[in-house]
Amino acid sequence: MNNNALWIILQKLRTPLLVIIVTYSIAILGMVLIPGMDDKGNVYHLTFFDAFYFVSYMASTIGFGEAPYAFTYQQKLWVSFCIYITVVGWFYGLGALVSAVTDKTLKFEVMRSRFRKKVREFEGDFVIVLGYTHVNAEIIKKLHTSNMEVVLIDKDEEKINFFMLEELTQDVPVMVGDALLTETLQDAGILRSNCRGIVALFENEEYNFRISILTKFLNPNVKVVAKSTHDDISKSILDTDIAKVINPFEVFAKRVDVALRSPHTLILENWIYGNSDLGEEPLYLPEGKYVICGYGRFGKALQTKFNKYGIEHVFIDAKRLANHKMIEEGSFVRANPDDKDILLDVGIKESAGLIVGTNNDIDNLSIVITAKKLNPDIYIIARENTMQEVSVFQAADIDWLFMIEQIYINKTSMALVNPIRYRFLKLVLIQEEGWTKSLINLLKNQVGINPLLVRLEVKEESAYALYHELLNGVEVEIETLLCSLENREERNHAFPLLLYRDGEEILLPSSINLKIGDQILFACTKESLEEIELIASNIYELHYAKYGKEKENPLLRRFFG
Amino acid sequence: MNLDKVISGFFFILAMTINFGFFYGDIDNPELHSVYELFVALVVSLISTVLKIGDKTQLGAVLLATSLVADIQLIAAVTVWTITEYLSIVDVEAFAAIISLSGGALLANITSVILYIGETLKSKR
Repeated sequence: MNNNALWIILQKLRTPLLVIIVTYSIAILGMVLIPGMDDKGNVYHLTFFDAFYFVSYMASTIGFGEAPYAFTYQQKLWVSFCIYITVVGWFYGLGALVSAVTDKTLKFEVMRSRFRKKVREFEGDFVIVLGYTHVNAEIIKKLHTSNMEVVLIDKDEEKINFFMLEELTQDVPVMVGDALLTETLQDAGILRSNCRGIVALFENEEYNFRISILTKFLNPNVKVVAKSTHDDISKSILDTDIAKVINPFEVFAKRVDVALRSPHTLILENWIYGNSDLGEEPLYLPEGKYVICGYGRFGKALQTKFNKYGIEHVFIDAKRLANHKMIEEGSFVRANPDDKDILLDVGIKESAGLIVGTNNDIDNLSIVITAKKLNPDIYIIARENTMQEVSVFQAADIDWLFMIEQIYINKTSMALVNPIRYRFLKLVLIQEEGWTKSLINLLKNQVGINPLLVRLEVKEESAYALYHELLNGVEVEIETLLCSLENREERNHAFPLLLYRDGEEILLPSSINLKIGDQILFACTKESLEEIELIASNIYELHYAKYGKEKENPLLRRFFG
Repeated sequence: MNLDKVISGFFFILAMTINFGFFYGDIDNPELHSVYELFVALVVSLISTVLKIGDKTQLGAVLLATSLVADIQLIAAVTVWTITEYLSIVDVEAFAAIISLSGGALLANITSVILYIGETLKSKR
């Protein structure tokens, strides 16, 4: 029911209303029954209207005086009694009304119905974000730039108030509520068909798991982006089939893996995320021994990669303990890593690299400074937990900064906004060094140093001409889209990277006939993007690109031909 | 026994009976209809309305609606009475209007009482 707010007020006002009715009627009845005296000395009785009029202004303490004639002492006696009962009743009623309006549950109901109305009015796709954090605020901004609406829920009213102060381009409906309740999720519009996804990056990973389960049963078409750094929880979340798990430690470990195996892939990855262009120098990790501070989830994720490539490494951690084998082999030292002697003991001077990965930013910086003093040439990889310290980390001259929050922001927004980009990235990450290197060179030569990444979907709204041509059974090759409209013998500056068709992924498609519903990812320049869009949506341009001559307009021919 | 039920049942039925008391009598004879009875009928009807507020069930909503109808009819009757008396146009037509308005209120009250009895019989406790 939508008028919960009204019901709450009415229910709270039951007793005050009864009090007012009873006191008024007693006072009115008394006034009517008690005889008065008019100015000529005749006995008269007030009518009900006179009595109602008098009691109304008496009870509200307006007090116009005694009407229609001055009262007798009997009447005055009754009035003095009535003043106390009606005035008290009246103020009690007013007080109850004010307290009902300012009531917390009422406020909540009003906010909730406003929130639901706003969510209902969304016409485009929208995403539900759970909890207001720095990371989520950045994700919201990214979603807004890709024209997605966002709904925010947080348990804490104060956080919602802080969120109101954020400068955002679009209006974001907010609600105070417990995201783990189905009711709250339903209010946020999870059952709606234009709800694209839900972001659950709670620190408590159990919550993320529960959100995934709830969403699975409420609306399996909604994509869940969940944070999880523990294997068992990750597995359970993935079992729901609708969730995407983000584990920043795993992400970084994979990057280290990629950097060791094929440095050019990293350039491609950063370009896909939009962090840098293709002109970056590839990153070659120095060979030699690595000192790793911190043996938590981060350290363990790295360990598997280092073991895989047989790189010599030693962990230092003051709190956690590794197994006996590692201690005996000397690849684990239980000590405070921020200690000069310890760093010297593990051989910082002969080491090629240092990876600082504790969960305390200040500790990390302090270790970096100490290590730099001992070995100025050492290659430093540092973990940064919150983005608030970003300027300090930049000043510390770190070779490779691993920003946990940045990973959440990048991964979440890409998974929700650009699923096809995400697919492409996944395919790229498993390629060999030679493949990525030649792809980068190809893109640099054909398109430019910083190509745009655009998606074209073959459907009526985004590719009108192409859609109708395919509907008529005409075969159109992907190359048709790549013609230059000035001269169809030449190609425009675009490069198809991925074609996605019903769960099938075709990397670097060529000479393939398009089908309705295909999604194509292009790398292209701004001008070529316009050409592609023209060919796809304009029947005359498509005809020229396909056959090399202008399409005749039957209507014009009838008039001028 | 639930005291709340006793009180609300008392007022629902009292609203009907007093209403009937006012309505009963020749429609064009003011001497057979007491103004005090109309006053009490209105007050009791208002009280029973307030007692019906807050029940969010389907039946509660219908009960509240019938009570609101009775209130509006009685308030209309009172207003007509007041206006005609102060404008000194007391005639048979105006008085018949007052009585028939209260007759409408009586019907609403009877409906409400029937629903109330039905609910009571249905309840197993």
